[in-house]
Amino acid sequence: MINQQLAEISNLALVVTIVLYVLALIGFGADLASSSQRRSDARLAARERQEASREMSTAAVGASGTTVADAPAAGSDAAGSDAAGSDGAGSDAAGSDAAGPDEAPAVPGAMTAQRFAFLLAGAATVLHLVGVITRALATQRVPWANMYEFATTSTAIVMVAFLVFSIRRTELRALGTFVIGPVLLVLLLAQTLWIVPAAELTPSLQNSHWIYIHIGVAIIATALSILGAVVASLQLLQAKHERTLAERAATEEFPEHWGRFGHVLDRLPSSSALESLSFRIHSIAFVCWTFTLIFGAIWAREAWGRFWGWDPKEVWTFIIWVIYAAYLHARATGGFRGSRAAGLALAGFVAVIFNYTIVNTVINGLHSYSGLG
Amino acid sequence: MTDENPRPSQDPAGTGRWSSKPEVDGARAAAPSLGLRGTLLFLWRQLTSMQTALVLLMLLAVAAIPGSLYPQRSVNPALTEQFLEENGRWGELLDTLGFFEVFSSPWFSAIYLLLFISLIGCIVPRVGVHLKQLRARPPRTPSRLTRFTGHTRIELPGAQGEELIEAARRGLRRSRYRTEVREEKGGRSVSAERGLLRESGNLLFHIALVGVLVCVAGGTLTSYRGQVTVIEGDGFSNSLTQYDSFEAGAWFDENDMPDFRFTLDEFRATYVQPGEAGTVGEPRSFEADVQVTTPGEEDESRTIQVNKPLHVPGASMYLLGNGYAPEITVTDPEGTVVAEGPLITVPMGDTGYTSQVVLKAPDAQPEQTAVVGFFLPTGTIDEQGPRSLYPDALDPQLALTAYQGDLGLDSGVPQNAYEVDLTTLTAVAGEDGDPVLMRLYPGQEYTLADGTTVSFDGLRRYAAFDIAHNPFERWILISSLVAVGGLILSLFVPRRRLWVRVREVDGTTVLEVAGLARSDDPSLADDVKALASRLSGAHDGNRPPDAAPSGHPEADAAGGPREGSAK
Repeated sequence: MINQQLAEISNLALVVTIVLYVLALIGFGADLASSSQRRSDARLAARERQEASREMSTAAVGASGTTVADAPAAGSDAAGSDAAGSDGAGSDAAGSDAAGPDEAPAVPGAMTAQRFAFLLAGAATVLHLVGVITRALATQRVPWANMYEFATTSTAIVMVAFLVFSIRRTELRALGTFVIGPVLLVLLLAQTLWIVPAAELTPSLQNSHWIYIHIGVAIIATALSILGAVVASLQLLQAKHERTLAERAATEEFPEHWGRFGHVLDRLPSSSALESLSFRIHSIAFVCWTFTLIFGAIWAREAWGRFWGWDPKEVWTFIIWVIYAAYLHARATGGFRGSRAAGLALAGFVAVIFNYTIVNTVINGLHSYSGLG
Repeated sequence: MTDENPRPSQDPAGTGRWSSKPEVDGARAAAPSLGLRGTLLFLWRQLTSMQTALVLLMLLAVAAIPGSLYPQRSVNPALTEQFLEENGRWGELLDTLGFFEVFSSPWFSAIYLLLFISLIGCIVPRVGVHLKQLRARPPRTPSRLTRFTGHTRIELPGAQGEELIEAARRGLRRSRYRTEVREEKGGRSVSAERGLLRESGNLLFHIALVGVLVCVAGGTLTSYRGQVTVIEGDGFSNSLTQYDSFEAGAWFDENDMPDFRFTLDEFRATYVQPGEAGTVGEPRSFEADVQVTTPGEEDESRTIQVNKPLHVPGASMYLLGNGYAPEITVTDPEGTVVAEGPLITVPMGDTGYTSQVVLKAPDAQPEQTAVVGFFLPTGTIDEQGPRSLYPDALDPQLALTAYQGDLGLDSGVPQNAYEVDLTTLTAVAGEDGDPVLMRLYPGQEYTLADGTTVSFDGLRRYAAFDIAHNPFERWILISSLVAVGGLILSLFVPRRRLWVRVREVDGTTVLEVAGLARSDDPSLADDVKALASRLSGAHDGNRPPDAAPSGHPEADAAGGPREGSAK
């Protein structure tokens, strides 16, 4: 029996969650904007200092601004994956670099925009989980039996994964904007387009423990793919940014690129650190997708009498798996490492999106659980 | 697949980078001079290169896409036919190109076969290399360790080289490194290696994938699958003649079909009722009660549900469909019963379970008769025509029209029992000249103007089962699980080398530690530093001079308990 009251509470919790995510997004955004403002102020000050000193003597004194700008460019895209040791160093440098311009507000315990946003994101995630769990309690089953529930649950996993990754490595918190943005988008779509009333399971989803295993793993895989795509796209931007900066550093004293957004990128980990993180996320995601396929095949054999039947959902999960396999291979191949491999990872994510949206709603298949008319 | 493919000297493509176009052109110009053997070797090297594998992987992904966009014959042949009818020449062209059988089309097969050949060509030499590596001793310690990861140099007072080397060797062995102690000029070194399992896992993954492909092929050759429809009260015994449709692989032997019988006692279905949560009319449960008889066993009552198939030795039975079988009797004007009993109707796919009725009475006199129309579990007839509002049999009724003429059964062309060609038939008209619509409730009878009677005697349900067996299923599962196991090892086991070198110079001992990561291994530098401080700290409590500036004042304090725990 469906507990309508709990279902209402779940709905309310998710709506409030969306509001909190919006606030957290504003917080993270403000943090990035203020830091880029501070950065450009510091740059300006450095430039003025240097010009003043040049007037006094012809000796070129390396101003601190130059080294700050060069630090992220050092770990350029070409460094690739072999230099695992320097990856760590790169992220350390980026971390300390990020802390640099924030020195004034970085008093322990002081409330910076970022800390505020991070706490808010944590609270929103807790409420998000409450929404998911009350939905499960209301229906007395797993909260992933239709498209709406799959979306709310997988975005909750994305947030939990982000919090877990960044609770200690504080330099990753700067990615907050780029994680909460997509999560918010999916939640809004879910709450407006995909929402269906709480209901019991259709027979094809009953009497099987594979609904816990197969779809549970699929949710984790999807969440990791979202997170991986965020990191991979930032890696691509960062690599481009670093290349341009390195080129300009040869001719300009104060290389700048992409204005405000360039300052935001300065603040993020270096492209090689992002590449390393993206690989770690994607390799876990690939294992999860493999398990999704295998568990799905076992369930398909129990439910439909065959382990594989080229149902559209099966086809697209296969495509996702093959593209991510290509990504892992590309990463170990000369000439494809770095940006090209990241491009493949993003192609895999496009397949994930297609599998989730078009295959669920437009293409007719056996996996028709969206519950939408 | 290897990163650095050993390239033969006659390989003019050099680095094999796809972007280096002039080199590729050069390869084409140079090709004739290679001779047949050289050309084949060149092609083989190209096929087994990583770039080719990457391209084939992407091609495989792209080639699979049409398989989800166009209706596949293997998935739903009716939809394919519909698409062909609607799209005319375009459809025919797609059909010729294999877009409706993508996954058995020559181009799709070519891609995955090439991919697997490339994979095997890549794996086989690697297996040899890896087996040699497993037996080989860790490589010699490089003479200059300074350029390696985490290089740490510590000077310790006194001559203690012997003990340091022994402690390092023991510690590394305990952390599952393969170690080798070597005498060198002026000192000794431990060369240690860990993570060969990474390559083992990688090879295992690829070999298991080949295993999956072989088992899938074996399954396609030996498996069988058939559809049966059984009305409540009726039985089924497992032989080819009893199946509605049946497919089997080339090596399937009919004599291997297991001997079993069953009777369908009852089929039950429940649906969302008005007032309940969910969409009204959506199914909630399907259950089929069967009596199963297998040779040498007692009869057994079982309930088959979706997700709860019936397994008997050598076959499994899956509940995949259901519908209504109204009992209809047709009597011709001469009083002869020309059709009788439950008739399987075909649901049209709406939530109300409106089902199509086609009843053929070829023996009717004076003319062959067909009764065509709808069975409606909860029926209504309004301006939209006859339709059912709810899938359960709350108000069952039949809406039928009788046709007379030539059923076309004598032409020799096999006919679908659930379809009838109305072009050679004329509808029986009433007094107003319009076709008569007979609306029948259970127990009712309708007499047409010519004396033909149609009666609705009762209602039963039927269940549709798939019976299937694939002897290779178990092996496919085992291969895929082995593949994942290998995959996990190959992704998450770090492969690295560590070196410890000790030299005794003028009464002091110089300890050097360094490492080399052979995969993503962010913790290597920390591990090297930790090993260095443990070795020096565990020995005499000295603070490692090189490690100290990196800021671990607690290293001394930690040295004590660590030494204690090591014993």
